Amino acid sequence: MKKEIAITAYKCRKCGKLHYPFHDRCLECKGREFEKIKPQGNAKLLTYTAIFNLPWGFDQRFLIIGVAEFENKVKAMGQIKADSVDQLKVGMKVKPSWEPVRVQYGEDVYGLKFEPMK
Amino acid sequence: MRDVAIIGVGMIPFGRRDEDTLMDMLAYASLKALDDARLGEKSVDAVYVANMGGGILQRQTAIASSLVDRLSLLPAAAETIENGPASGASAIKNGMLGIAAGFYETVLVVGGEKMREVTGWRATDFVASMTHPQAEYPYGITLPGMAGMFTRLGMEKHGVTREHLLAVSLKNQEMGTLNPYAHVEMALDRDGIFDSPHAVVNNPTSADPLHLYDLCPVSDGAAAIVLSSVDFAKKLGKPYAVIAGFGQATDTHTLAEREDPTDLKAVTLAAQQAFAMAKIKPADIDVGMWPNYTMPLPSSKSPRVNMSVFSRRGRAAKPPQPVRLVSVVRSRSTSPAA
Ligand SMILES: [Zn+2]
Repeated sequence: MKKEIAITAYKCRKCGKLHYPFHDRCLECKGREFEKIKPQGNAKLLTYTAIFNLPWGFDQRFLIIGVAEFENKVKAMGQIKADSVDQLKVGMKVKPSWEPVRVQYGEDVYGLKFEPMK
Repeated sequence: MRDVAIIGVGMIPFGRRDEDTLMDMLAYASLKALDDARLGEKSVDAVYVANMGGGILQRQTAIASSLVDRLSLLPAAAETIENGPASGASAIKNGMLGIAAGFYETVLVVGGEKMREVTGWRATDFVASMTHPQAEYPYGITLPGMAGMFTRLGMEKHGVTREHLLAVSLKNQEMGTLNPYAHVEMALDRDGIFDSPHAVVNNPTSADPLHLYDLCPVSDGAAAIVLSSVDFAKKLGKPYAVIAGFGQATDTHTLAEREDPTDLKAVTLAAQQAFAMAKIKPADIDVGMWPNYTMPLPSSKSPRVNMSVFSRRGRAAKPPQPVRLVSVVRSRSTSPAA
């Protein structure tokens, strides 16, 4: 079953600046009221890395992580579903999903994943 | 505001120091700096300890009070400064402010970390604890990983290549062979880490596009300086340095929210402040030092950046090298003070 992407971005009601994650005051105008926005559509890969020296809590040999921008301009970090960075290019389209990204205390922790689109 | 002098420096060799506790290392570096300042039995007014890992890696807190006790500096004021990778420079700034304000006459500043007490996995996780707890940390991002993403952006925007990174790596490695305090004192050649078929083994990818030798080692170590008013320094009859300028700025916590992450806005702003305070231009600088976590885009992830400018008075006064201090060092050939 496909899960909904459970992150929320915050659009300043005064100046329209989009934030993710949450700030108590707008980074642009210090406004304190925000409209909650869900990331929408596919995303564009902005940058990425393959990490071979992983932190405690990860069992795999390496992990590919990147930052992508959704069609409605929300930018967020996520894990990338690829076997190698050779399959990736800055600016390519990626398909977001909400899946387990790590296990903590025996439980799945969900987060963003991006899959390269053909 | 009055000028602040650096009257003593002390450092211990960096590396894997299994035989020493965090407190041992802080004490050794402090005693070297206090002796270098020729303070003898005299105490200091305050002690600032820069440390990021004690609470997590050693399960030790209130480290500065403990150090004051070990060094018999009672009843000196004691504070531990935790400010991520900028802790060292922040501690110096706090010491400097105390003296500049006329509140303190002498201050000991010491920074140290004992990273090798835990496995590489744990150390990497500890350093990653400075990333955003919801938007970054859960994904398994690490500081080298952040640097890898910044470097990729730099490659896209400025045409940075692995060859460029290699040149910096080889230069830094060569400097290490000349530095008796360096963790890795090993000359590398281009063939071994770049050209030859063995390069992938010798210098594997760590956080693509960064490789092992693009990154700093994980080290145990400590360094200390003693600060005082210039009046106090003059009476010592030895060369001293004066802090000519200092700057500090902060950028957004997450990489994703930076307008242009390759800009390193906080670095630029901190540098501008330091130069303005020192009343000099970048062209006046003879030697720049930028010690930080990763070499290609230093301080790239640290949301806080400190920049200091030192002017050197006297022939024997060496520029101090506190851990993780982002500094610009200016040397001037004047005759020894006093
Ligand atoms: Zn706003």
